[in-house]
Amino acid sequence: MPTWGMITTRFMELRRRRGLLIAMLAVVVGLPVIFLVVRLVAHAVDPKVYAAAGGYDIFTNLTAGVMYIFGFIMAATLGCTAGSVDLTEGMFRHLVVTGRSRVALYFARIPAGLAIITSIVAVGFTIVCVVCCVAAPRSLSYDGVTVPAGMSSSAFNTYAADHAGAVICNFNYRSNVNINVPCEYDRATHEGKIGVPNKKNAPPGFTMPSKQKLQNFAVTIAKQNYSTYSKEFLSPSNGLMIRTGLWLELEAAIGFLVGLGLGSLLGQRTVAVIIMLVYEVILTPLLARAHISHLINAQRGLVGLATAHLEPAALPAVFGGGNGPQSGNGLIPETRLVAVLVIVAWIVVWTALGARRMATRDA
Amino acid sequence: MTMTVDESISAPAGESQWAVETHGLTKRFGDNVAVNGVELLVPRGCAFGYLGPNGAGKTTLIRVLLGLTHADAGTMSLLGYSVPKHRDRALARVGAIVDEPRFHGHLTGRQNLQILAAAREPAAKGRIESSLDRVGMLSRADVKVTKYSMGMRQRLGVAACLLGDPQLLILDEPMNGLDPAGMHEMRDMILSLVAEGRTVVLSSHLLDEVERTCDAVAIVDRGNIIRQGPIAQLLSGADVVVQIDCSAPDGVSALLAGMNVDARVEVANDVVSVTMPTGTTRDAVAEINRRLVEGGTSVYRLQPVQVSLESWFLEVTSRLGAPE
Repeated sequence: MPTWGMITTRFMELRRRRGLLIAMLAVVVGLPVIFLVVRLVAHAVDPKVYAAAGGYDIFTNLTAGVMYIFGFIMAATLGCTAGSVDLTEGMFRHLVVTGRSRVALYFARIPAGLAIITSIVAVGFTIVCVVCCVAAPRSLSYDGVTVPAGMSSSAFNTYAADHAGAVICNFNYRSNVNINVPCEYDRATHEGKIGVPNKKNAPPGFTMPSKQKLQNFAVTIAKQNYSTYSKEFLSPSNGLMIRTGLWLELEAAIGFLVGLGLGSLLGQRTVAVIIMLVYEVILTPLLARAHISHLINAQRGLVGLATAHLEPAALPAVFGGGNGPQSGNGLIPETRLVAVLVIVAWIVVWTALGARRMATRDA
Repeated sequence: MTMTVDESISAPAGESQWAVETHGLTKRFGDNVAVNGVELLVPRGCAFGYLGPNGAGKTTLIRVLLGLTHADAGTMSLLGYSVPKHRDRALARVGAIVDEPRFHGHLTGRQNLQILAAAREPAAKGRIESSLDRVGMLSRADVKVTKYSMGMRQRLGVAACLLGDPQLLILDEPMNGLDPAGMHEMRDMILSLVAEGRTVVLSSHLLDEVERTCDAVAIVDRGNIIRQGPIAQLLSGADVVVQIDCSAPDGVSALLAGMNVDARVEVANDVVSVTMPTGTTRDAVAEINRRLVEGGTSVYRLQPVQVSLESWFLEVTSRLGAPE
């Protein structure tokens, strides 16, 4: 097994790769920060036009849409680097001559690399969490209507009755039962509201429904919308942030370990990084959704699909949206147990391949 | 084809009189036999030169000894430890430079040594400063390796060797890239390491340096060791050459024919070179002088030529003929 000194010096070696570290920081931390800073500035300049910088929606989209994929790519790049540079830079020979087990030399890279990539992901994720909580909107915009957040079902119904016009003219509603009222755009609130037709333009026989009837209808609409409303929040909950953070770290750790094994196996970084990019950016999104009956079990072996199935439920589906025939999020279905087993298998197999290649390679 | 590497070594681990011991060591690359049944014995506490022309298999043998690549057949031990069975224990007291020393360019010399020291025993970390000091790199230890010259990387490679307080150092072309002063310092350092009781195996093309530095040598060609032993003993087996500057160079050949002496005579620039077999005595040289004078030839100079390792090496390797 590697000694603590081997791990710390390996950590030092990777940390001092300035170009790689800057690239990782720029992608994993810089991209979300730039996005959030632009939103913060825009909101500060004109809060009526530009929504708040943070909030629940920003958090979920930023983590699932940006940090997930870029975290994996940068982790894989670090792994490929750690797995190949001793060989390409001529240090492998010096290390072998020390008499230290080659497998121990390989394993020293794992905690060193993980410490770097998980720290960087943690920094980026923490910034996203802080901005999304601190700069969260103060009111919830539901179907274009500003509504209080976190209402119970009865409170939501009461709100609907009190704001019948906004609810009827803005909320989605699917039913054969309808109410015939004219809606118009309110310039002050930017919401739809019930208009008052003049006598010339009013349809023949039109009469405005009573207030009670409008309130009853608004409550009916509210009841249909509550399940959707209840999933919308001003800011992410602590539980969601913890689950999302762990999920992102898991994805980064997988990327690093697979990259490390592949880099060690190939003995060079560039080809290994290209393979990892093609796998994650092109192959996985395609194969995670394409239902190929003869290959379905092989497709279930994709580590990207497995991590997608471990995604916190509140986040949007990774690898883009759209619905497929297999499940609600379009991904090929897979149980959580299978997903966990696939991830473990990928880590074990790639680590074993990398370590074995290092142990048997001519130095 | 089945090849095995016998890991049994007769001497107890770590107590052999030999620093390096190989028997029938063989390494193939396809049809090419890079190391061909090598029998090598390097005594402890000496500087040992390992000589051979390009492609003779010098570096391959070193790589096999150090476990950088596997052997196809034969046995080997370092410091009495069978390799590869006890490779970790053997290499713990071995330092080596193989080919051009290369390091992580983005790190300083000191940081590179820290990585290597961490892979050795804990005490190695405490030897970083002294190792850098010994190779004269202390003042440049905190400069990135990318800014090092070839000679500085060589020195850093030697410093890396010293981290393990080695009993055996295997240096592959350590003079490469060094200026004359650097070569002189390297030679002194090797001699001082030997004076401390360490064994230094030196692979080099620089025969003059090897002759000045080493006590014993082995000559390798096409994977085979063709000679090995103490330099003085090997050179004593070389031909005796006498240069004669005289008034009638062309008549020397006829005179020697009349003496029934087994000699080869060459004349260049009016100087006669007489090459006689190993074991020719000083009396025989005096007899040649006497006959020349008695024959009316004026002898201006008669000088035995000291055989150098280089001339002996060329003589030995020239007998091998063209590659098959």
